[in-house]
Amino acid sequence: MAPLKSLEKEYPLIDSNFQSFCASHGIFSVEDFLLHDLDALIAFADNHSTSQTLKQGIDQLLSIIDALQPPLLNGLQLLEDAQRNKHVLSTGCEGIDALLGGGLHEGQLTELVGPSSSGKTQACLLFASTAAKHNSLVIYLDTGNSFSPQRIARFVGQSSGHVFDNKVDHMLKKVLDRIICYSVFDVYQMFDVLHQLKNNLRSEIVKSNQYVRLLIVDSISSLITPVLGGSGPQGHALMISAGILLKKLAHEHNIAVLGGGGGCAAQHEWVREVEGVGWLVAMGEREGAAPLGWVREVTNHVVGGEDGISKPALGESWKSVPHVRLLFSRDCGSHVCNILMLKHSSMASGRAASSTLCL
Amino acid sequence: MKKEIEGWIGGDESGGEMLSRVRSVRPFVFPPPLHRVPLRLGNVVELVGPSPSAKTHILIHAAVTAVLPKHHGGLDHFVLFLDLDCRFDIARFSQLLLHRITPDGAQDCDQTLYDLCMSRFLYARCYDTFQFLHTLRTLHCRLEKLKQLHGVGVHLLMIDSIGAFHWMDRASMFLSQRGNKKKLFLQTVSEAVVQNIRKLLQVHPMLVIATKSVIFGNKYSTVSNEVKRNVEERCSKNLTRNHQTFQYREYMPSVWQSFVTHRILVRSSDDHPVGTNYQNSTFYLLEWLLPRLSFIDKIVVKDAGVFVDT
Repeated sequence: MAPLKSLEKEYPLIDSNFQSFCASHGIFSVEDFLLHDLDALIAFADNHSTSQTLKQGIDQLLSIIDALQPPLLNGLQLLEDAQRNKHVLSTGCEGIDALLGGGLHEGQLTELVGPSSSGKTQACLLFASTAAKHNSLVIYLDTGNSFSPQRIARFVGQSSGHVFDNKVDHMLKKVLDRIICYSVFDVYQMFDVLHQLKNNLRSEIVKSNQYVRLLIVDSISSLITPVLGGSGPQGHALMISAGILLKKLAHEHNIAVLGGGGGCAAQHEWVREVEGVGWLVAMGEREGAAPLGWVREVTNHVVGGEDGISKPALGESWKSVPHVRLLFSRDCGSHVCNILMLKHSSMASGRAASSTLCL
Repeated sequence: MKKEIEGWIGGDESGGEMLSRVRSVRPFVFPPPLHRVPLRLGNVVELVGPSPSAKTHILIHAAVTAVLPKHHGGLDHFVLFLDLDCRFDIARFSQLLLHRITPDGAQDCDQTLYDLCMSRFLYARCYDTFQFLHTLRTLHCRLEKLKQLHGVGVHLLMIDSIGAFHWMDRASMFLSQRGNKKKLFLQTVSEAVVQNIRKLLQVHPMLVIATKSVIFGNKYSTVSNEVKRNVEERCSKNLTRNHQTFQYREYMPSVWQSFVTHRILVRSSDDHPVGTNYQNSTFYLLEWLLPRLSFIDKIVVKDAGVFVDT
């Protein structure tokens, strides 16, 4: 936020006298002011020759801070916002919809975890095609070149019953038009894309009658794992910032986020690499405008730990980031994908569902 | 002289009087699972546990109890929920509230009662440390206004979760740019947070309940039972390993640790590991670490709320 100097023009009470008083206590910006003991500062101001104006300056600063804060919301207001803006996106798979209480919730971050080739990316593609079919824009951040238009075509073809048909071609074109895919190969690129999206969402979105409802990152662990090494906290800081940014996007733009996390336990011993997690973020309607939203899907990896126990690639800290965590598993040679809900912020978790994702 | 002695023997109050007096200064009689230790205004309770371990659920359960009127078994208070994890779901709160106020078998609930309870729940979310500090610093005025408006104060402050910005604060270069290397930013922030809450408590006596996620993994906390059994077999020579004790590494600065007056550990249960489906409920273990109690409660999370499993 602002250095005190920049406030001088707008608020004459924060004059050079006040600034030098603050500077003598190591306060140069509003952040410094927040970290400082307020009572001690007032006591110092009392002993000062111009105590009256100094105290007015402190009050002025406090009121500036107060004005920046959004008001406290009560339960009724929260519920109204949730009911009006936070919708549920169907995933296109009845089993998963039932498990999640209707589908992906806008405003939430959903994470898909599971071992390699357990169907996470396939689920991401299915969710993306379903959302796009329902007139939503989908942002797909692809970190491993795993995005497959052919799969999308199959999902679209299957659901309409005819595989080679002009209607299907037309539908498919529309669906693919609505899925915007970005290749992202490191975490900084992801931040760039997300910030760009945030700005776009704020300003120009209204161009079309479509909203971004779903944001998919497949997989987030391949972006974050490379920066987690070393002894410093920077990698973890980047990871948590990414989580917060995703949740902020999801909440403020009413997007449901579906993401992947690394909290899964491997079913086999000595699993060296257990794959990713998918995240989907779904975005809700904006007031008075046509629906437009986003789902984000992120996948994450689980790496082999000691004693044959797989441990999450993103560690314990990541586990408290997503709202919902789904564990994917698939028996060898089987086309049935088992999905277990490990965590859900709005229901008692521990429900299991078996759903046939034709893989 | 005789009179004095008689007066002394006679005592100051009857048992009934004493009970009512003690009850009035002990306003927090929470239903299970927080029923083991009486909590008073000014106490700071820390709920620590890995994710998921029903920490937020316990908060919501306590919040519902606090906003309910006395004749519904509640505490008749306002509750303020500071959401640093940004994962709170109002629908879940509403669902638990409806379970409490709808009599068994009845279809409709009392709408006025529902609205009253919902409006007593106050919420703010913070996306970084400075927003959190902002919120704490401006809370005094807001609570004051609220008191004047409704005549009832906020007596319960919830923070979910206190360590949410730990990694960002640890990596922050905010103070080091100034060449102020005497203190870490993380420590400065914690001191400011504790100081702000402490001052707030002086003017607005509240019970503080904060959750804290375990961020350094205990490898046995995340694995399934099946894997754990394999490990146990392999480690059977190592008899000193005790699965009853759950280790977690403290990461909050000492200023916060000494601010905490009560500490509760929640963790997944070995009998029902996270992920097993048992009548749509999940089981966790709840243990009082401060004050240390010798027994462990088994808690169960159902659609209707959090209960102690008997």
